[in-house]
Amino acid sequence: MLQYILRRAAVGLLMLLALTVLIFTLLRLTPGDPIDAYINPSVPMSASDLVVLRTRLGLDQPLPVQYLAWLGAAVTGDFGYSIQRGGEPVLPLVLGRIGPTILLMFSGLAISVVVGIATGILAAVRRNELTDLSLSTAAFVGISSPAFLTALLGLYMFAVVLRWVPAGGMLTPGAPFSVGDLMAHLILPAVLLSIGHGALIMRYMRSSLLEVLSQDYVRTARAKGVREFWVIVKHAVRNALLPVITLIGSTIGIAIGGAIFIESVFDWPGMGLLMINAVVRRDYPVIMCATLLTGACVILVNLLTDIAYAAVDPRIKVA
Amino acid sequence: MHRRNFGRLLAAATFALAVTTAMVPAPVAAQTEKTITGGFDVGPGGFPGNFNPQTATAGFTWLNTYFEPLVIYTSDLSKLVGALASDFAVGEDNLTYTFKLVETNWHDGKPFTSADVKFTLELAKNAESGSIFAARLAGIASIETPDEHTAVVKLSKPNSAFLSVLSQVMMLPEHALSSMDVKEIAKSPWWSTKPVGTGPFKFTKYVSDQYVEMAAYDGYRGGRPKVDRLINRYFANPAAAVSALSAGEIQFTFAEPDDAKTFKGNDNFRVIEGDSYVVNYIGFNHRAGIWNDLRVRQAVMHAIDRNAIISSLFGGAAKLANCGYVAPQLVPKDLSDYAYDPQKAKDLLAEAGWEKINGDKPIPWLTYYNTPQVANVMAAIQAMLAQVGINVVPRALDVPSYNGIVRSEKWPDFPLVYAGLQNGPNPASLNVGLNAAQIPPAGNNIMRVEMPQLTEALNTAMAETDPAQADAKWQQVCREMNAQLPWSPMWVASRYGVVSGKLQDFFWTPAPGGGPFVSHPEKWDIAP
Repeated sequence: MLQYILRRAAVGLLMLLALTVLIFTLLRLTPGDPIDAYINPSVPMSASDLVVLRTRLGLDQPLPVQYLAWLGAAVTGDFGYSIQRGGEPVLPLVLGRIGPTILLMFSGLAISVVVGIATGILAAVRRNELTDLSLSTAAFVGISSPAFLTALLGLYMFAVVLRWVPAGGMLTPGAPFSVGDLMAHLILPAVLLSIGHGALIMRYMRSSLLEVLSQDYVRTARAKGVREFWVIVKHAVRNALLPVITLIGSTIGIAIGGAIFIESVFDWPGMGLLMINAVVRRDYPVIMCATLLTGACVILVNLLTDIAYAAVDPRIKVA
Repeated sequence: MHRRNFGRLLAAATFALAVTTAMVPAPVAAQTEKTITGGFDVGPGGFPGNFNPQTATAGFTWLNTYFEPLVIYTSDLSKLVGALASDFAVGEDNLTYTFKLVETNWHDGKPFTSADVKFTLELAKNAESGSIFAARLAGIASIETPDEHTAVVKLSKPNSAFLSVLSQVMMLPEHALSSMDVKEIAKSPWWSTKPVGTGPFKFTKYVSDQYVEMAAYDGYRGGRPKVDRLINRYFANPAAAVSALSAGEIQFTFAEPDDAKTFKGNDNFRVIEGDSYVVNYIGFNHRAGIWNDLRVRQAVMHAIDRNAIISSLFGGAAKLANCGYVAPQLVPKDLSDYAYDPQKAKDLLAEAGWEKINGDKPIPWLTYYNTPQVANVMAAIQAMLAQVGINVVPRALDVPSYNGIVRSEKWPDFPLVYAGLQNGPNPASLNVGLNAAQIPPAGNNIMRVEMPQLTEALNTAMAETDPAQADAKWQQVCREMNAQLPWSPMWVASRYGVVSGKLQDFFWTPAPGGGPFVSHPEKWDIAP
C-alpha cells in the first residue's frame, strides 16, 4: 500500500511539473507580456523606459531560462513578486485567496445540497401534483439559466433595487471585522452560486427517490404498518441519496468554476478574481503560483480518492 | 403519504435551511466617522493596485490624495501652478528651473526639503528604479539645492514638456527610501504598507484587491481635511462600480457613457462630463504598404460621416477632430474638414488605383476598446467604408494583446487600428506617437509614421519653451497632420464621473491618466 501511495505521489509531482511547463508555454504563446499590460495605449510612453523595466523583470531572457529560474525559486518556496502590484510577494497573496474561495464554494454547495435534496424529496412525494410541477419547472429554469445572467439579475435586484445586501466585496471597506458583515456579503453570491447546482441535485433526488419508492422493500415496509414519514426518511431517502452523493462529489469541480465566475461579478477576493486579474494583466508570477496551487489541490484530492478506493475495495490492484 | 408525516419532513428541510441562513444578520451599522468611499481607480484614469507613483501610468487622482508633485495642473487643466513648489521660474536660457518649496512636513513628521526633491528626481531619472519617467527626465543635467527650500534643476537642452512631466512626478521622502537598493525600491512593500507623503490624507491600510484606506492628516498645511477617512474601493469593472454607486455603497465613480446617461436627471446624483483629452483615430500602418497614397487616406476621411456617428452613437458627447488636437488654441482655422462625401472618396480611390492596391480584400482592423459603444462605432464605419469599396474587419483585443501586436513587427496583423492618443493638456504628448524618431523600439510611434515635415514641425514645437510662441508651433503640427493624414483623426469623446448628491465641495475632472490636477481633497465633505 505504501509503495502504491509513493508511486501515485510521484506521478502527481510529475503531473504538476508538466502542468507548470504547459501553463508557462501557453502563457508565453499569447500575444503581449506584462510590459504590454503596463502600457495604456492612449497614454504616450517612452519605449526605452519599458526596455529597462523588461530587463529588470527578466523578461528579456530566453523562455527556458525564464522557466528554469522560476522553477528553481519555486521549489524553495519563492514564487517571486507580483509584477502589476508594486512588488507584492506572490505566495502570501495567493494563499490569502484560498480561504475566501473555499468559504464561497462550500457555502454555495451547502445551500444547493440542502435545498436540492429537500425540494427533490418534496417533488417526489408530491409527484404530478402542483408542488411537483412548480418545483420541477423552477429546477429546469435554474439548470438552463446562464450563470452570468442570474448573477447580474440577482445583483441588480437584491443589491441595487432592494438594497437588502451589499453589491460586492467580502467585507465593508474600513469597517471592523464582524461575522455578520461577512455573512451579509456572502449570502447573495452563495445563493446565486447554488442555483444551478441545487436544481440539478433536486432533479436527481426526485428521480432517485421515485425509483426507490417503487421498490419491493418500501412496499413491504408500508405493509408492515411503518408510518409514511419513517418509510420515506428511513427506508427510501437513505437509499435514494447514494446516486445524489456521487453527483455532489463529481460536480465539486463545476462548483469551483462557478465560484470563479461569481467572484468576478461580486468582487469576491478569492482565487478566481485573483487569476482573472492576473491573466488580464499578464502577471505571470501570480498566474503560475495560483495554477500550481489549484493543480496541486486537484491532484491531491484525486490521490486521496484513489487511496480511499484502494483501501475500501481490495479488488483495486495496489501492488 | 400522511400529511402529518409530510409536514414533519417539510419542517426538517426548513430547519436545515434556517440553520444555513440564520447566522446572517443585518449589515454593519453606518460608521460615525465621516467617510467618503469612491471608485477612484475605476476607468481609464485609474491604476488599481499600483502605489508607486514612479511606475504608475495613471491613477494620479488617487495618488494625489497623499503624494504631491512640485507643480500641478489647475482643475480645468489650462495651466500649471505650484503644489509643493510655492513658486517656480524658468531662466532666460530656457534651461534653468528654480523651485521655491513650501514649508511642510511628511506624514511621519519629518520636514520636506530640497534634499527630497533632489532624491526624487534622481530616482525618477534612474531607469534602474523601474521609473517610467526615466527617458522623459533624461534631459536633467543637474539638480542643485542651494538651501533647504530651494531646488534648481538644469536641463541639457530646452524641453517644452518638462514642467508637464514634472506634474506627474510625486515627491518622495528621502529619509524613508534612500537606504534601499535602487533596484529593489519598486518591489518594496513600503508602497503598500507604510508610504508617507505630504498630501491631505495619510495611508492607513491596503486590503489586496479590495480597497485602500486613508486617514485625515491633521498637520496638512491646507488645514485638516473635512472628512476623517477616504476609501478607494476596487472593482472588477466599471459596471460593478456603478452598481455600488446606485446601491449607495460608494459616493463616486467613473462611468461609461451609457451608464452615465441613467443618472442624468436623478436628483440623488450629479454627473460630471468633461473632455477625455484622447483623440480617437483610425491609424494607418505606414509599413503595411496599402496606405502610402495620400488620396487613399483622404478617401477614408471623406467616406466616414463623423457628424452622424457623433450625433447618433455618442449622443452628441464628442467633438470633431481634424488633427490630433481639439484645444482651440492649438487648432488653426484653415484646416480641411474632410466633409462626408462618399462620391469624392470613390473618385480618390479610383485615381489612386485602389483596385490594384488592395481592392476588396479584407483588412483586419484592431482595437483595444472593448465597450459596446466602440463596437457600434466600428460597425458603422465598417459599413461606410464598404460603400466606397474598402473592406475592413473589426477585431477587439485585450490591451496586452493589442500592445504586443502593434509594438512588434507583424504588419499583416495590424494594417489598421482604431485607437486613441492623449492630446492634452500637454500638446507634446503627441510627439511620442508621431515623430519619426519615435518608431519602435525607440518610441511609441506604433503606426510607423515617417513624414519629414511633420517630424520637423514636432521638433520645432518641442524645443519652444516660450508659452506665447508655443501655440503657433503646435498649430503647425496640427496643420501638417490635417494635410498629410498620418492617421484619420475622428473625434474626442466626453468622459464621465458620477457623484452622489451627498458629496459636497468634491472636485473631479476627467483628466488623462487621472491628472493630477488641483482637486482639494481636504475640502471634500459628505452630508450625513
